[in-house]
Amino acid sequence: MTLLNKLTPARIVAWVVLVLMLLVTVFPLVFVVKTSLVPASDLYTTSTDLLPRHATLIHYKKVLGMLSTEESIAAGGSGANFNISQSLINSILFTGIIVIAQTFNCALAAYAFARIPFRGSKVLFGSFVASMMVPGVVTMIPNFILIRDLGLLNSMAGMVAPFFLMHGFTVFFLRQFFLSLPKEIEEAACIDGAGPFVIFFKIALPLSWAPLMTIATLTTINMWNEFLWPFLIGKEASMHTLPVALQSFKSQTPQGQPDWSGLMAATVIATIPTVAMLFFFGRRIVESVQFTGGK
Amino acid sequence: MKIKTMALTSLALGIAFQANAGEVKYVLWDSNQLPAYEQCAVDFTAKNPGINVAITQSGWDDYWTALSTGFVSGTAPDVFTNHLAKYPEFAKNKQLVDLSELVKKDSVNTSQYSPGLYQVWGKDGAQYGLPKDWDTIAMIVNMDMARSAGVSLNELNNMTWNPQDGGSFEQVVRKLTVDKNGNNAATGAFDSKNVEVFGYQNPGSGGMMGQTEWSHFAVSNGFKYQDSAWNGKFYYDSPKLAETLAYLTSMATNGLSADFKNSQSLGADAMFMAGKTAIVPQGSWMITHFATNSTFDYQWIPLPVGPTGKRATMFNGLADSIWSGSKNKTEAWEWVKYLGSADCQNVVAERGVVFPAIKGMAEKAIAAQTARGIDSSAFLTMANSNTFLAPIANNGARINELVNGAIESILLGKDDAQDALTKVNKKVLKLNK
Amino acid sequence: MMSVPHSTRTSPYAYLFILPALIGFLVFYAWPAARAVAISFTDWNLLSDSTFVGFDNYLEMFQDEQFLNGMKLSGYYVLLNIPLQTALGLFLAVAMDRLTKSIFVKATLLLPYLMSNVLVAMVWLWMLDPILGIINALVDTLGLSTQAYLGDPDQALVSVAAINIWRHMGLVAMLFLAGLQTIPRYLYEAAGLEGASEWQMFQKITLPLLRPVMVFVLVTSVTGSFQIFDTIAVTTSGGPLDSTRVIVYYIVQNAFSFYRMGYASAMSVTLCAAMLLYTLFQMHIMRASESDLA
Repeated sequence: MTLLNKLTPARIVAWVVLVLMLLVTVFPLVFVVKTSLVPASDLYTTSTDLLPRHATLIHYKKVLGMLSTEESIAAGGSGANFNISQSLINSILFTGIIVIAQTFNCALAAYAFARIPFRGSKVLFGSFVASMMVPGVVTMIPNFILIRDLGLLNSMAGMVAPFFLMHGFTVFFLRQFFLSLPKEIEEAACIDGAGPFVIFFKIALPLSWAPLMTIATLTTINMWNEFLWPFLIGKEASMHTLPVALQSFKSQTPQGQPDWSGLMAATVIATIPTVAMLFFFGRRIVESVQFTGGK
Repeated sequence: MKIKTMALTSLALGIAFQANAGEVKYVLWDSNQLPAYEQCAVDFTAKNPGINVAITQSGWDDYWTALSTGFVSGTAPDVFTNHLAKYPEFAKNKQLVDLSELVKKDSVNTSQYSPGLYQVWGKDGAQYGLPKDWDTIAMIVNMDMARSAGVSLNELNNMTWNPQDGGSFEQVVRKLTVDKNGNNAATGAFDSKNVEVFGYQNPGSGGMMGQTEWSHFAVSNGFKYQDSAWNGKFYYDSPKLAETLAYLTSMATNGLSADFKNSQSLGADAMFMAGKTAIVPQGSWMITHFATNSTFDYQWIPLPVGPTGKRATMFNGLADSIWSGSKNKTEAWEWVKYLGSADCQNVVAERGVVFPAIKGMAEKAIAAQTARGIDSSAFLTMANSNTFLAPIANNGARINELVNGAIESILLGKDDAQDALTKVNKKVLKLNK
Repeated sequence: MMSVPHSTRTSPYAYLFILPALIGFLVFYAWPAARAVAISFTDWNLLSDSTFVGFDNYLEMFQDEQFLNGMKLSGYYVLLNIPLQTALGLFLAVAMDRLTKSIFVKATLLLPYLMSNVLVAMVWLWMLDPILGIINALVDTLGLSTQAYLGDPDQALVSVAAINIWRHMGLVAMLFLAGLQTIPRYLYEAAGLEGASEWQMFQKITLPLLRPVMVFVLVTSVTGSFQIFDTIAVTTSGGPLDSTRVIVYYIVQNAFSFYRMGYASAMSVTLCAAMLLYTLFQMHIMRASESDLA
């Protein structure tokens, strides 16, 4: 991988813009952390300060369930129950199952659309893509009734059901990548007598490591933050995922204010697992095998 | 942890008691009230062994979506806290159990509730909920600011208002409005374009109710929403309302309130707690919130006396309803009866979070709050003034949408008050012809 | 335009490959969508039985100011959001590919996306408050005039777009980056040896070879933008003065506030059709099924 090392004007401008964009990206995040450290008494009076005057970790304690209900309310919280360890486990299960299953199932379909011609391929692919255009409000109730009929309410199976088989975005993304795989290797293997499954598992998948990791990362992030469906299906406190549990920091009553500091602390804590995962996958994307030629 | 234990216990017991499980599922949205109702549930089960109550709390934002989904899919809770703005649609679609026969059969004393509360939850002889609590509106004042401005508590407690010159209310607000140079709005040097602290902040447009925003001013000016509950003939085009809204708009123009567009994101309450405004109208359900979050001396005062010679406040009440698809209607009724009884409402009163519906309970709640250092007697004063019920009719959500838009355009200065109201009232009348 | 591999036993295998996804599609998308079309011909109010009303909903829709406004606003929002977001994302991706390989940069740019839509909206609601928010405090310090952002009917939709660009530009960058990494390095090396500038390489190598990814990004971000809801529900509730009452917000209002599920379904069907048309158009003009690499 060669980077042009000449310091051209273009590169300087590019660096300036990049740094600016990094600042714009980071500033609100820093502000989230700042707000999470502000005691309830200072919250509104110091809302425009860049740094907290008296930093406190009480909101983090609130989120981690280390305070009693009275202490929680005194620190600006709503007193609602927030069980972070249970919801963390549920979120990990929910996200993990979906990411693995969905990526695999969608990769299979995407490969077929890209490389295996069959009747109705174009129409079917178009339909899968079109599924992204169906507003959620339309699918919500029929899917809910289906899960109820299957007796899967309040279960992990019911929560992962609409996601683990097909997602238009994932299929679309992977298909575009399978299309851009050079055909020479596959043709060579084919001539050697390998069937589609072998080609898929031994050639296409390994070559697509970068896009696979990318889409897995995205799916992880999306499912980690998914709220409405787990909220509807996982109503019992024992089934709550993290975003569902987090809603206790939003405003509880009409015209009420959210527990801003608690919300910010909860955001930080909820984001830590995905940040960690990001660093792990980020390295993998960088280290992925670069295809340099067929011969 | 308590909910989880309760839920798990009742789940386990539910399994033990099989199909006719004596379990009642109950939902509410206000987490502040959760401890009180959990206590009620424990007491209730002690008196009714075999019936367990599983309480779930989910915040206001998602409460109704979850409930509607429950209705549609047949998984709604047995009993739920209901709201006046939402219940007409549910009643019309037969999602609520008619309690009137049950009330008669069990001789529930319906006159034990504060006047009007029981009636407003009924229509054409049917009863859709038992009253739970009531709330009124008052104003909260930053007393540190009042003291520096030389405004006495006596002055604050005895304000008058009229839409022409604002009465003594405006005089007080002017003293409390301070610009960036330290001049208040009662002096000539006041710079209305550079205000540091606004004497009063109007919370917003308020939709069809204007509960905290304008209802008290308008009604004390002689405004009337409709002739009677459920009557589709509204009077939003009344000049009395137009005057009121024009006055509120002028407060912003004169620098006594923040411009509408600047005060809608975090809202008037946040401004109050940040020390950007001295007086804000609010409801009694916010008493605890201000108590825990204010870092300065504050006081609840009654609303000003209007041109009719009286103070006016919307008198609103929540109720508990039973879902018509519940499989445990008998048990649900026992729970609802208990919720509406003095036993449970006593527990709620003692926690001092809301004013329970039964007569005399509010005083207990206020006493509990006084013991915590909060003086909420203003709300009781308001309850004894000219109280009026929230407007109620079919198609409430759409009426709300229409009226809200009209009032927004008035407060933004885009439309003349009378014009906008006349136009919107025509549309409102069409909805319930 | 090479011909496809000659493995002839493809057809039955194809069905095995697509089977899991197909089941998911039929059960959780196709079936509800078909139901939605059926419901669009009724006046179902969610809580009671429905009655057939034929095309009434559709007729009402095309005369409904709020519907037309909603579609217009959604379209306008897409124009505010997508071009800038795509350009910024592309720039960032190229920067991460050619300027610096730092993982720190990559991770930082993706951080906004790690927060859910709702949390991002709440954070920005807090920062953009005209009186208490830090943004106006900074603007004021710089000597510029403060604005009302989400409270101003003329600025609200732009503010919502800005919030979404903030959240998504890192994501778009990541998608483009994945595409950039499939471009063989030797092409850049060869061009570099021939004296081509960065910009020329970008135009002649990067852009053309990014076509499949570009199509993907445009289609998914446009359709995603068209369906914006969460941010608006948190920050403006469709206001002020209906300036952010985009189509999905209006649809959800009709479904869950006004209890007009039939009408909401009709609008959903129309929205879906509109997006489909756009997608077909987009994919056709960009020849999405091919790659210049092959």
